[in-house]
Amino acid sequence: MTPGAGTDRAESPVRPGGAPRRSEVSAGWLAFLLNVPTLAGLVLVLAYPICFAGYLSFHEVSIRHLRAGEFPFAGLANFSRLFQDDVFWLSLRHTVVFVVASVALEVVIGLAVALTISDERVWLSRVTRVLILIPWAVPPVVNGLLWSFIVNAQYGYLNRALHKLGLITDYVNWLGHPRLAMAAVIVAYVWRTTPFNILLYHAAIQGIPAQIYEAAAVDGASSWQSLWRLTLPILRPVIAVTLILRTTFSFMVFDEILAITQGGPGNDTWVAAWYTYRMAFQPPFNIGLGAASAWVLAVIVGIAAIAYVKLVYRRVDYA
Amino acid sequence: MARTANMMRLSWPRRAFLWVANLCAIAFLLLPFVPVVLGSLQSERSMQKNVHALLPEEYTLANFRLILSGGRSKGPIFEQVTYLPKSVERFPAAFLNSLLVGLAVTLVTLAAASLSAYALARLRLRWTQALFQVSVVCRMVPLIVLMVPLYVLFRRYGLLNSLSGIVVAEFGLLLPYAVLILVPYFSGLPSDLEDAARVDGCTRWQAFLRIVLPLSAPGLAACGVILFIISWHELLIPLILVSRPEFMTVPVILAGLVSDYFVFFTLMMAICLLGLLPTLFLVLALQKYVVRGLVTGALKG
Repeated sequence: MTPGAGTDRAESPVRPGGAPRRSEVSAGWLAFLLNVPTLAGLVLVLAYPICFAGYLSFHEVSIRHLRAGEFPFAGLANFSRLFQDDVFWLSLRHTVVFVVASVALEVVIGLAVALTISDERVWLSRVTRVLILIPWAVPPVVNGLLWSFIVNAQYGYLNRALHKLGLITDYVNWLGHPRLAMAAVIVAYVWRTTPFNILLYHAAIQGIPAQIYEAAAVDGASSWQSLWRLTLPILRPVIAVTLILRTTFSFMVFDEILAITQGGPGNDTWVAAWYTYRMAFQPPFNIGLGAASAWVLAVIVGIAAIAYVKLVYRRVDYA
Repeated sequence: MARTANMMRLSWPRRAFLWVANLCAIAFLLLPFVPVVLGSLQSERSMQKNVHALLPEEYTLANFRLILSGGRSKGPIFEQVTYLPKSVERFPAAFLNSLLVGLAVTLVTLAAASLSAYALARLRLRWTQALFQVSVVCRMVPLIVLMVPLYVLFRRYGLLNSLSGIVVAEFGLLLPYAVLILVPYFSGLPSDLEDAARVDGCTRWQAFLRIVLPLSAPGLAACGVILFIISWHELLIPLILVSRPEFMTVPVILAGLVSDYFVFFTLMMAICLLGLLPTLFLVLALQKYVVRGLVTGALKG
């Protein structure tokens, strides 16, 4: 393995297919060795904990049991409690509302902004392009606090601005109304996450050859037609990717809920991740129940994840 | 609508439309910052005095001074305030913790992921390709699903309330994503130089260290900056794993403001602004890398 070992140099042209060379480990071993840290990470911090969560979901795990270090077997008790809990179903329903609304907004706003900034003939587009990632740079919890100030009933700037514009006379308690509170969380979340979509759409639009638009224009297509008949169909794969990615991530929304509504008013903005967190890490500290709900979420998200792999990484050559 | 050749001239209504659309986009991206900045630059009293005013009567940097001094430099505005949120005192230490955790996670993850990504990109075996797909699925594992068992395990192995515990958990969370960003990057590098080096007697390992790594500096930078940003943003991991103030990171102390029974909005906005500045700066300064990394990580290059 010493560099420039003379004998090795003389007799070793590069063999295609990475056939083993005398002086170094075979490709298979090398691949294994190089992957040891990653495999260790995947197994110890991802695979094993997820299996362990499955174990926990069939056992009684509370603070008392954690102290004792023994978890009595509970059978399906955690799951039956979970499925009988109205708040769990409510949280799932809110999550679906949240996911559908936020993903739809992310795609529509993302496409609109991406199309806007992709036209290089307006110099302002170049300014906008520099700015698109700014909301993405904001930490999620900061984003939540920021919007909780904006929509605050007494001092918030949304009320101030609407009042100045004469649109409202009395200040609105945005977070006191179930629908408005959910809308506030959705808006805050969408603001932070849409830049990711804009970026992907913009990258895809940049890859479309200009000639096809020229050809379409020569054939008399209006720009509206070329948008619907050319650009959007070409973007379909990217849109599908963002749909799946954003669905799985918005399924897990947590920071904004914590910072803006803490699930309120009442239970009206409880979502799946918030339910799991509250059950497992706040009183009643029922970790077994939390593990059961976590597993239900994992299955739902897992289906989306497999669809994503099938869609994007279907072909073996991922270059 | 989309990218059309430069020689095609725009009619003025379309030009005007695009200008308006751009202005709307800029408003969408930047408007939410206006209240943060305005809020952070005034005193709580001035904000509460006139609830209809958009602009504060007077501007002050007292909030920032208070936070950056860890609650010591009170000045005239906070002199008579008897209760201050604990997050204010904890901010400087938490900032340092976030920095340490972010750098450690970035370095460790980058090291492991680059080794693995090289193997996945160059030594194409059936199992390494399966590993790649596993990484894709792992990237989408919901964090809360991971946190329930990790809490129990970390409790058992004494990793709660430590920065290393946070690093380990974030390493696991970010590793698949880093592999996803780096594999297409390594695959895209021409293998000619590497082959030449191997003809000259380099082992694969030496070729990796001396040829591939230096060549892939931009890819590593793209991956690294994204890892650091995600680590800086991470709330759930340190929130669950850490309960002692000395190990809290910036997002945790910010989340602590929520449960505070008395909220100073002006102070909160100032602390928010300080908490988002590092990553905002990184994104603006290293935009090219961030963009490349994000696109590669989602669309395999």
